[in-house]
Order: sequence, then C-alpha cells, then structure tokens
Amino acid sequence: MDDGIERHLAAGRHARAFDLVVPAYKDRVFRLAYSILKDRAAAEDAAQETFVRVWKALPGFDGRAALGTWIYAITRNTCLMELRRRRPTVSFDDPDSTEAQHAAASIATGPADDPERDNLLRLVETLPRNQQEAVRLFYLEDRSYETVAEQLGMPLGTIKNLLHRARKRLMEVARPDEVKAA
Amino acid sequence: MNEMSFTAPCADYEHDLVELLEGSLGPERARVIRLHVESCARCRAWQAEFAAFDAGLAAALPRPALSPDFERRLQARLSALAQPANRSDLRARADREHERLVEALRRGARRHALLDGIGSAAVAICVLALARGLLEQADALQLLLEGPQRMVILGGIGTAVALAALAWTTLRSRLPLAG
Repeated sequence: MDDGIERHLAAGRHARAFDLVVPAYKDRVFRLAYSILKDRAAAEDAAQETFVRVWKALPGFDGRAALGTWIYAITRNTCLMELRRRRPTVSFDDPDSTEAQHAAASIATGPADDPERDNLLRLVETLPRNQQEAVRLFYLEDRSYETVAEQLGMPLGTIKNLLHRARKRLMEVARPDEVKAA
Repeated sequence: MNEMSFTAPCADYEHDLVELLEGSLGPERARVIRLHVESCARCRAWQAEFAAFDAGLAAALPRPALSPDFERRLQARLSALAQPANRSDLRARADREHERLVEALRRGARRHALLDGIGSAAVAICVLALARGLLEQADALQLLLEGPQRMVILGGIGTAVALAALAWTTLRSRLPLAG
C-alpha cells in the first residue's frame, strides 16, 4: 500500500503521494485519535488537522521512519495538543484524580438502557490514560497488537503487557464479588 | 493481586492463556498451554471468564466511524490554505522586485557620485591651468582689463562659466538614476 506512496515521494510528486495517503490512513488516524480523545467529533477534527500537517510536511519527509510511524506520531502530537488545549492541568494517568473521576462519572450520564455496558465503560475510564488508549485502540483495530504498537509508538511487548494489566484490572473490578469469594 | 482467588490462573500461564484465546501463540506453545488447560481447573475457569469478559468489553466499547464527507471537507480546507500561500507568493515576488529596484538605485547613485568626482577634478584642473595662463599673461591681462573693452571681456568669461555649468547640469540630469 505504501509502495505507491513512496514511489511518488521519491520522485518528488508530493501532491500525488498525498492523494494516496489520505484514503490509506484516514480510518486508522481517526481511530487512533478517538482512542486518545474519546470523542468522535474531536477525533475527526484531530484527523483533519493531522492530514493538514501531513500535507504541509510531506515535502520534507525524509523517509528515515516508516511513513505510517511518521503519520501516527503527528496524530498523537495533534491529539496531545488538543488535550492540553482543553484542560492544561488534567492528569488522566492518575485514576484517582478528580478529573478522572469526573470523566468516569460523565459516562454514567449517558442512556441508562444497558447498565452493565455503562458500568464497564465507566471502569475503563478509571484506568491510567495509556491503558485506556491501548484498550480502546486494541478493540477498534480488531485485537491487533502489532497495529496498536505501531500506532501508539510503543514496543510490541510493552503493548501486550499494558493490555494484559488493563484487562486483568478491569476483570477484577468488574467482578469483585467472585474474586473476593475465593 | 488475586493469585489466591479461585478464578486466578497459574501465574506462569496467565499471558499465554490470553494469547491462546487470541490465536497469537506459536503452534508448539499453544499445544503446551492446551494440555495445561485440560488438566488445570483454575486456568480453565479463568480463561473462560476472561473470554466472556473480553467479548463483553469488545461489545461495550464504541466503534465510531469517520463521516462520509471527511475527504471532501479536508480538500476544502487544503484549498483554503493554498489560497493564502498564493498570496504570500505574490507578496514575496513584490518584495523581490522592490529589492531589485533599490539595488539599481544604489548603483545609479554610485555612478553619479563617480561622475561628480570626475567633473569636479576636471573643473579644478581647468581652473588651475587657467590661473597659470593668467599669471603668465598678467601684464597683458591687466592692460586688457583696464582698457575700454573690460566689460565685454568680463561678460564673456561669466557667460562661458554659466554655459559650462548649464551643460554639466543637463548632461548629469540625462543620465539614468537607476540601472
């Protein structure tokens, strides 16, 4: 898929390359942005912003990193800037922080037609931010560890550990009675 | 944390139980884990619980999709961005033209200064030559200036100086300042 793009880039045909980049990466860029921002509209805006940045920077792309790695790094930076713009002092890494608790509580304000689902989503919100992102992206990307590792810019082993810890923790808190009964 | 609970798996197999479910284990390791699961009730129970939890989590998490007009909106945004880029190109061209004109004016000013210097030197040489000739002919000149045609001679000299100054000014003004 990237071969055609890279051929155009090597020949200096940046506009042609960009025309191929957008359809090839738009969905994955959007899903990565959604896993970080947790909001569909914000993720779509971030994806737009990401491609604008890619469009501007593509003539300077030197190919030292893989094109996907480069695009995902731009996506993550765009999302982090958006998070900083929203709340400069938020720290989702601490699940006990006021902001994280507020975010978790906001899930409960949605439709109450499926309390189990709402409860599960609320629990996901209490995970540290990097675990939340990995969990969302993992299921959005059809359980592909490799894709999650590439998109979050982390080693495969780190992603596997992160996901394992996250799901184990969720399992424990989702079924506390069963675990404690032993 | 929950190694002592009934639902906790054997610690050494925990990761492998998950990977076995997800089909990402190598064939040999998968065979070993399957054999273990068959003989270990705790791991079997935990794996079943994990599988149910995993399916529930996958179903619970939202799966948003991009708007169908994402690419159209992106193209519109890029077109809007390209417009100011063209304007900035025009501005850059105007700046370059301005720089060229200023440089040409500087060159013209330098040429004029050079010509002024040459003209001044020529005038000084002429004046010195004239003064020397006048000193050599002082007696004859004195007689002439004291004679009846004194006014005609002085008027002629004044006219010649005025014509020379006028010619110099005209010549200088016809030289292009720029270029």
